[in-house]
Amino acid sequence: MKRISSNSPNAEFEVPSQLEARASRWRRPLGIALGVLSAVYAWAVLAAPIDSTQGVIQKILYVHPPLAYGAYLGFVITGSAGILFLGRGREDLDRLAIASAEVGVIFCTLMLVTGPIWARGTWGVWWSWDARLTVTLLLWFVYLAYLLLRSFGGRNPRTARFAAIYGVLGLVLIPLNYYVIEIFGSRSMHPENLKQGSLGEGMGLPFLLGNLTLAMAFFYLLVLRWEIETQRTVDEQESAMAEPVAVGQ
Amino acid sequence: MNVALAILWKDLLSEWRSRDRVVAMLIFSILMAVVFYFALPDRRPEELRILTPGLLWTAYLFAALLGLNRSFALELENDALAGLALAPGNRGWIFLGKATANWVLISIVQILTAAVFAVFYRVDLIPVLPGLVSIIGLGTVGICAAGTLLAAMAVRTGFREVLLPILLLPALFPILAGAVKGSLAAVAGEAVPFESLQLLIVVDGIYLIVAFLGFDYVLDE
Repeated sequence: MKRISSNSPNAEFEVPSQLEARASRWRRPLGIALGVLSAVYAWAVLAAPIDSTQGVIQKILYVHPPLAYGAYLGFVITGSAGILFLGRGREDLDRLAIASAEVGVIFCTLMLVTGPIWARGTWGVWWSWDARLTVTLLLWFVYLAYLLLRSFGGRNPRTARFAAIYGVLGLVLIPLNYYVIEIFGSRSMHPENLKQGSLGEGMGLPFLLGNLTLAMAFFYLLVLRWEIETQRTVDEQESAMAEPVAVGQ
Repeated sequence: MNVALAILWKDLLSEWRSRDRVVAMLIFSILMAVVFYFALPDRRPEELRILTPGLLWTAYLFAALLGLNRSFALELENDALAGLALAPGNRGWIFLGKATANWVLISIVQILTAAVFAVFYRVDLIPVLPGLVSIIGLGTVGICAAGTLLAAMAVRTGFREVLLPILLLPALFPILAGAVKGSLAAVAGEAVPFESLQLLIVVDGIYLIVAFLGFDYVLDE
């Protein structure tokens, strides 16, 4: 494999690494669980009672917060994997960071789409500069920039390092933005937290299923994307090794 | 530490000899002041006065982007960046030298820009100068800390000028929030709110630490 970094301490690292091989084994069980859960979840959402004040639109509840958890989880994994990649030079964790950022951005985008639809239905406006909305939007920009950095920089160790540092910056920005909003921000339109009993009767189960299903979807996509990234690295290594033969022919 | 001072001196000297970055940033900022005038037509002077701090910081951000991009584009000539990377000692000091040079240059532009805005938008900034200057100085530390780190990255990808704003602006929102609030109070003749200063100091500190530590990996080849 052609390397820009010649003194990389992990040049001998196996691809796929032990961790990657172990994660790969989880893909199929996760996929099956996701399939089964999706069916149960769809049924539960359909069967859930219609909210007396908000109407059908309230059912976005079963998608929107679970998407948010996925998005934040994705960004936290990206940042932490980046720190470990920088510290220990583990390239498998760099590949995990890419996978996690992409899946996180998908979840975050879907959350930013479902949110305004719900908001329009209940608050009467598509958008409000509410604390959580603003922070999430900023975070979305950070991770879009992260992906752009990855794609503009190309697949090389230098871009991987840049992206890892940027991922750490993104991680730092989460509490920082909350702090900003706390000091200057507007009143939040989001509920502070979901206390027991704050959901209507019959809404608890579909909400729980929504969380489970989307968590499953998150990890399934994460492992799948991680595998793709690993495969790309394997292909690159193989084609790099095959090159001299091709030239000699 | 000596490395930082040497780089600071080198950057300031080369800027003194060419003066291209400061002049470019300054002309750009003045253009922004004119752009804002046309973007906000038929406003009464009092209305413009209230908007001035926000407009001023918008001009600051974009002018800073311009200057930060150049800051490392210069180092690419003759592969000077590789030379910097080979300098002995912690590379964090290289970052500190570059960031301080950027801070000095951008601050000069900011002070001159503020004077232009004061004239165009009829705001008397002289009595509120101490408060305003402290906010501008603190805000610019954060801009330069994050900006120097990210410019060093952006300059070595294929899309330098395009990438820096996309990388940097999301990181600057906390600074913008604190600086505009603080400047609004300062221009209105009130005491600078403690929250603004606190926020700016916290963000500055965090960005300086992240950039100081992260710069080692940025110059790594």
